[in-house]
Amino acid sequence: MKANPFDPITLSKISNMELRARYIVDGVLSGIHKSPYDGSSIEFLEHKEYSPGNEIKHIDWKVLAKTDKYYVKQFEEETNLRCYLFLDASGSMGYKSTGISKFEYAATLAASLSYLFLKQSDLVGLVSFSDRVLHYTPPRSRITHLHTLLKVLAELKTAGKSDTSTVLNNFIEKIGHRSLIIIFSDFFDKVEKIIHRLQHFQFKKNEIILFHILDPYELTFPFESVTFFESMEDERHILADPKSIKRHYLSEMNSFLEQFKQSCFENKIDYWLVDSSAPMDQVLIKFLVRRESSRRLVNKA
Amino acid sequence: MLSFLNPILLLGILGISIPIIIHLINKKKAVSHKFAAIDFLLETNKRILIKYKIRQRILLILRACLLLFLALSLAKPFIKNSGGSAEEKNIPTSNVIIIDDSFSMRYSDRHESFFLSAKTAAKQIVDALKKDDEAAVITCSSQEFQIPQELENDKKHLLNVIDRSQPSFMTTHIAHALDTAVEILATARTSVKRIFLLTDMTRNGWDPHWFKSGYEKLRRHVSRMHILDISEGKTLKNIAVTYVKPQITLSEKNLEALIKVTISNFSSVPVKDLPASIFINGKKLSQGFFNIEANASETKEFFITVEKGKDYYGWVEIPEDNLFVDNKRYFTINAPQTIDALLIDGDPKTNIYESETFYLEKALNPGREHISSIKPSICSVHEINNITFANFNIIFLCNVETLPPEKIHELEKFVQEGGSVVFTLGNKVNADYYNNALSSLLPHRLHSIRTFSSNSSLSEEQPLHLKATERVHPVVRILSETQINTLSTVKFYRIFYIDPNPLGSCKTIFSFSNDTPALIERQVGRGKSVLFTASIDRDWTDFPVKSFFLPIMQQLCRYVTGSISEEISQEILVKQVWRYPCPYDINTIEITNSEGTQTIVQPQFDDNEKYFEYKETDTPGIYAVTANGRLHPQFPAYFPVNIDTAESNLEKIDQKEITAFMGGTKLSMTAVRVSKESDVLLGETKKTFWGYLLFLTFCILFVESFVSRK
Repeated sequence: MKANPFDPITLSKISNMELRARYIVDGVLSGIHKSPYDGSSIEFLEHKEYSPGNEIKHIDWKVLAKTDKYYVKQFEEETNLRCYLFLDASGSMGYKSTGISKFEYAATLAASLSYLFLKQSDLVGLVSFSDRVLHYTPPRSRITHLHTLLKVLAELKTAGKSDTSTVLNNFIEKIGHRSLIIIFSDFFDKVEKIIHRLQHFQFKKNEIILFHILDPYELTFPFESVTFFESMEDERHILADPKSIKRHYLSEMNSFLEQFKQSCFENKIDYWLVDSSAPMDQVLIKFLVRRESSRRLVNKA
Repeated sequence: MLSFLNPILLLGILGISIPIIIHLINKKKAVSHKFAAIDFLLETNKRILIKYKIRQRILLILRACLLLFLALSLAKPFIKNSGGSAEEKNIPTSNVIIIDDSFSMRYSDRHESFFLSAKTAAKQIVDALKKDDEAAVITCSSQEFQIPQELENDKKHLLNVIDRSQPSFMTTHIAHALDTAVEILATARTSVKRIFLLTDMTRNGWDPHWFKSGYEKLRRHVSRMHILDISEGKTLKNIAVTYVKPQITLSEKNLEALIKVTISNFSSVPVKDLPASIFINGKKLSQGFFNIEANASETKEFFITVEKGKDYYGWVEIPEDNLFVDNKRYFTINAPQTIDALLIDGDPKTNIYESETFYLEKALNPGREHISSIKPSICSVHEINNITFANFNIIFLCNVETLPPEKIHELEKFVQEGGSVVFTLGNKVNADYYNNALSSLLPHRLHSIRTFSSNSSLSEEQPLHLKATERVHPVVRILSETQINTLSTVKFYRIFYIDPNPLGSCKTIFSFSNDTPALIERQVGRGKSVLFTASIDRDWTDFPVKSFFLPIMQQLCRYVTGSISEEISQEILVKQVWRYPCPYDINTIEITNSEGTQTIVQPQFDDNEKYFEYKETDTPGIYAVTANGRLHPQFPAYFPVNIDTAESNLEKIDQKEITAFMGGTKLSMTAVRVSKESDVLLGETKKTFWGYLLFLTFCILFVESFVSRK
């Protein structure tokens, strides 16, 4: 059977992050033909009769040809999309059971979205964090900004504990109105605290999307033999017989996911649970398709 | 004290380090895995981890125990029970080993009997003796034939004595054996004297009376007494034929033997439909079924038709149980033959009640004609010429005044050839005539008539009574103890005194209270002549109306005619002496025992009495008697020898009772299974328990597999 080219294991063979992002986005766009994020930042509003002082480049020559009168195009205010990508680079994100770690998966997803946004001249900023902000790249819309972001993503290493709520707290003031905030993390943190912080962003009419990246082993716990489990963020460890604890582990995990999902739903936060073994194009397509449909609904409204 | 047969295998205990090492290696060998969602593991595992750790520890302990118990069981541990003191172990000892050889030791509920187990134990005791120890081996069933052994230290000989010993058919006599043991030990020079008693602990062997004084002997002469319960302390069950009594009943047409059979159930469980078979002359003739309650007996009667004058042997048999010796009991039947008796009435009367022979005739045949085995015919002296004496077995001359000379001659010839004559006297008897004409037949010469306190007051002396001169005489033996005691109630008012010198080989059977002979027998040729020195009717005595008149007269008849028919041979128990009067014409008899061994028996003499005595009644069964290779009418063809069923009751004596019997004697009692593997060493019984350990090991293995799978 032919391998899926967007399978994380296949993608992991492409070491260059830019190539990886382009590969995904081009594939995705060729699949759906039209970007749901085509909203130009300059919107035509109405024609106005030319008066001295107006810029000649705004004269609508077609109208002049038809009516033999000078009209200039009048535009709405500039509305560029400002997107902040929060990427969790704590130790736990470095976990990988198969070809690609959660962090690599999240970084690739972040790079793909950056490429997509910048292609539409939107502003994209990047925040990588653990229990503190590791790196912050302010939002820019130039296409050359992509190189900066990809370079940062390529250089990031997972380490330390994660404290998403504290990091978000730092950006409450920095991020203005009507921005898109996308967070990539495994959210092994206090759900209530994270939701509480996100509510602050929502208050400022920011849109929030959470990509909850989890490894398939974390979701299914397929271990067999007695294993010495070690924490990836600190010195904690445990010797356990997986067979005896599997049922309780999965119960705890599902309860956590359910609680998280429920909280997001209640707070109108877009929540995406992503299995890091899932083909990335499918994830992106699903995401974009749902974004477009929700956008249409909003426009209709 | 805990010891081991294979202590080297205790090194296997080191094996318990294996699971510990494996446990530690496994702990280290556990796959290390960095895991992001460790918070969930820690959260979920708090409870489970404790369980897991506990389970791991339990598994570790179980596996360690598994190897520990396996090593221990292979090392074969045992505990030595209360043996002798340290002193006894180091100084020479004197030992008497008493092996219970009573027939209850033949009990077998496994591959070997108790007796064989006792022998094994005895051999082990002998084997365990030290070089300077001395010992003797005795048995405890034969009370009379116990030969005291001497103490010796030749182990080989001692083992031979044990090997040769056989279980007997007798009862246990612990007391006698202890007496013998004390007697042996009294001569010992060592200071430590021990008795080993190997028994099945049945109660009947313990005589409480002996211990009332016997314990003092034990305490004084015995350092320690070891009692080994060979029956391993089990409750023993047994069913036995405890009583068989054949009895001849006469009817007009047939002769029948009524056999009373008693079967006893010596167990706490009732027995249902137990078949009991009657064998006569080797053939099964009858069968009955017994339902016996627990610890009870049941008696049933069986009827067997027999022929007159024939001897029968037989036995009653029940199915085999653990103790088969008492499942068979033997008996013999000697069917009576008809005796023709001629009663010559010397004083016949018109009123038959006053006739001389009235009471005698009624005694010999109390019912109608032919019902008795004795057929009496009465005639007067006048009729005598027409009668041939040879047609009769016995002639009674009752108060006969005279006899024709030719008849006297015929009578002499008759007796010489084996017939019998009985003289009874009376007023018509003239002593001189009798002494002259009949001296060849009379036992004694007649002297004179003597009267005692008769109603005519001729004498002031009190009437005489009767007494048995010889209790063992066949005529007397027929009487019960009560009847013998009532002999003194009979009154004789007039008797004939006789000359003290006998005229031949004479024997007094009964005498009067003044020791004057009353009934005298004389051997004449092949026959017998008997003189009764009083009248046979009521003229001189009230003897004919006494209850014992009938049996004495009938038995006299049978005895003198050589027909002991109705005398069912008395039951003889094993080791009892068979004794029988010797006829004049027999010099030896042959007795063949139940195993076919023939013994020639010579007559014995005791106070003018000639009798045969046979002591080799060692085994139960039917013993056949012949004289010169043929049956003899004066002997029973067979006699039975049976066991004493007191031993059949296997009820055990309580250990507390024994302790009480022994007084202050140092005592150890052990109920031990004696087999080739177990050891009985000078009372230090090795209680082995590796079987339990192995069982425990398998249990642990089972639990371990269950826990590890979970």
